[in-house]
Amino acid sequence: MQDWNVIEVNHVAKSFKIYTDKGHTLKERAISLKRNRYQTREVLKDINFQVKRGDSLGLIGHNGCGKSTLLKMLTKIMYPDKGSIEIRGRVSSLLELGAGFHPDLSGRENIYINASIFGMTRKEIDERLQTIIDFADLGDYIDNPVRTYSSGMYMRLAFSVAINVDADVLIVDEILAVGDVNFQRKCLKKMNELQEQGVTIVLVSHSMEQITSVCNQCVWIQDGVVVDAGETGRVTERYLAFMEEQAGAEHVAETVRKKECIGTIDQAQLLANGAEGKYIFTPQDELELRFHYTGPDTGVVCFLVDITREDFVTCLIKDYTNDEKGYPGKEGFVTIKLGKLPLISGRYFMNLKIIIKDTDDWAAQVSPLFSFDMYAPGKHGGVLYVEPICEVRTTGDQ
Amino acid sequence: MNVLKDIYRYREMVRSLVKRDLQGRYKNSALGFLWTFLNPLFQLCVYSFLFTVIIPMPIEKYYIHLFVVLVPWIFFSTCMTAGARVVLDQQDMVKKIYFPRTVLPIAFTLSQLVNMLLSMLVILVIVVVSGHGINLVALLALPGLVLLQFLVCLAIVLIVSAVTVYLRDMEMILGVVAFALMYAAPVIYAESYIPEKLRGLYYCNPMAGILSGYRSVFYYKELPDVSILISPILFGTIGVVLGFLAFGRMQRHFVEQM
Repeated sequence: MQDWNVIEVNHVAKSFKIYTDKGHTLKERAISLKRNRYQTREVLKDINFQVKRGDSLGLIGHNGCGKSTLLKMLTKIMYPDKGSIEIRGRVSSLLELGAGFHPDLSGRENIYINASIFGMTRKEIDERLQTIIDFADLGDYIDNPVRTYSSGMYMRLAFSVAINVDADVLIVDEILAVGDVNFQRKCLKKMNELQEQGVTIVLVSHSMEQITSVCNQCVWIQDGVVVDAGETGRVTERYLAFMEEQAGAEHVAETVRKKECIGTIDQAQLLANGAEGKYIFTPQDELELRFHYTGPDTGVVCFLVDITREDFVTCLIKDYTNDEKGYPGKEGFVTIKLGKLPLISGRYFMNLKIIIKDTDDWAAQVSPLFSFDMYAPGKHGGVLYVEPICEVRTTGDQ
Repeated sequence: MNVLKDIYRYREMVRSLVKRDLQGRYKNSALGFLWTFLNPLFQLCVYSFLFTVIIPMPIEKYYIHLFVVLVPWIFFSTCMTAGARVVLDQQDMVKKIYFPRTVLPIAFTLSQLVNMLLSMLVILVIVVVSGHGINLVALLALPGLVLLQFLVCLAIVLIVSAVTVYLRDMEMILGVVAFALMYAAPVIYAESYIPEKLRGLYYCNPMAGILSGYRSVFYYKELPDVSILISPILFGTIGVVLGFLAFGRMQRHFVEQM
């Protein structure tokens, strides 16, 4: 193993035997030979990569590409059939939170059990006990049995232990699905702190936003081999471009017609720079929404477009009313020029409502009409993608 | 060697699993920890009644004769039957997180050992209160016997817990084997009942030697005969080494089998 590497993965291969119907008992195995039939499925064929000290690695790839299997081998839950995996230092994983929790024991007692499963000694746990308790933020509940906890409290306690075990390598799978927004923010902050302390983070996520904000290196796995590895920006861009080609069908609009709807929305198209069929946009793309609607025969209608991010943050609500006059109620072809959307990376949903003017009733609605991904290079927080230019002059300058 | 280093690093996990097992098991039962003692005591009552009233055995103070080996026997048979499920029962943990898998059988055997040692206190109380008395010199052999039995039990738990992951039948088979073995060891009868010419074969069973040893210490109040301990010594040492090797090999594919 090279001195400057923390993780080395060399020619790793793993395949599974898929039994059509596996017999676990002698009787089952003896009686039905059929049960012993299996197919071999090669999940990983030849995986190679290294992680240098101080780097953090993102693993990307579509569902079923073998990311989870690789993670399980990195954490030594499974072993590769061929090849080797070497890791320097203690590995902690946020794969399974709360391993070994006993519902009848108190939070405090469970900290000791859980932390010991990560290979900590009593002395180490004693030293960190207060930090863990503070981070979990459970107040007096810490001395109550874990079975009385809400699921959020349970996850918070488990997360707090896992992230405070003083690991050299932290392996994280689809984080931040736990807890409320405040706790998530705390976790991200903690991860950045850990990185500064030199902890290597290996993150698996489908969110390019999380990957870019945590990892500087990235490995893209597909069909059991590494397609590309290297600097995050380049790899994610290639990956997104590839996913775009594949996407197509997934994003096609579906018209939800509720009973009370008297109108319909169809032939919806979302165009970027005049072209259709692409659902990954950058803040520079000029977007245009086209659709056809039918409404109530009489009266006038207006349109309401809103865009919501995956985590339910509403980013935009726009009412199109035609200067208070409204649009023809019967039917029509609509083109809405949305322009550039200054949104940060992430997945968004676009919803459309046709509202009968001057009432609260809507004639038709489709939500989501489209789902799309934004890709904005660089690190961003919040909602808006802006590129402020920062200049500094010191008093000595003119 | 690496295995031992790993286990040493995870000593706190062994400790907390033992503690969790001992604390957690009786947490919500009314009699709580007393069950550790009540279970062997109930068995003692049943067997004593059976073999002093219904089928009288010509053995003086039969209840002591029985109880001093019943307690270690329960330790052994629990290791065989419940020990089979040790890894399988923790599959949620095994599937999701790394730790040296050997920790599980070790912690289980240790917590059973603690249970037995506590029950042994009851043995001491009984032999003193009943006026049977204790020979302190003979008692010196006790730590050796306990260690031997621990090794034998650990070897068995290591192997059966790993095999059970691959073959779930193991648990049922072991139930039957444990039942049969009880009669192949001097639990309810005296060693002297075994015909002279079969005795060599009889003592090949490591538990026969160990139980006889306990009985010498507590009942006959004398040091055990070393010759009957040859089998347990061989079985214990070789068994533990083989057990670790076999477990180490089998554990590599535990997750795929769960």
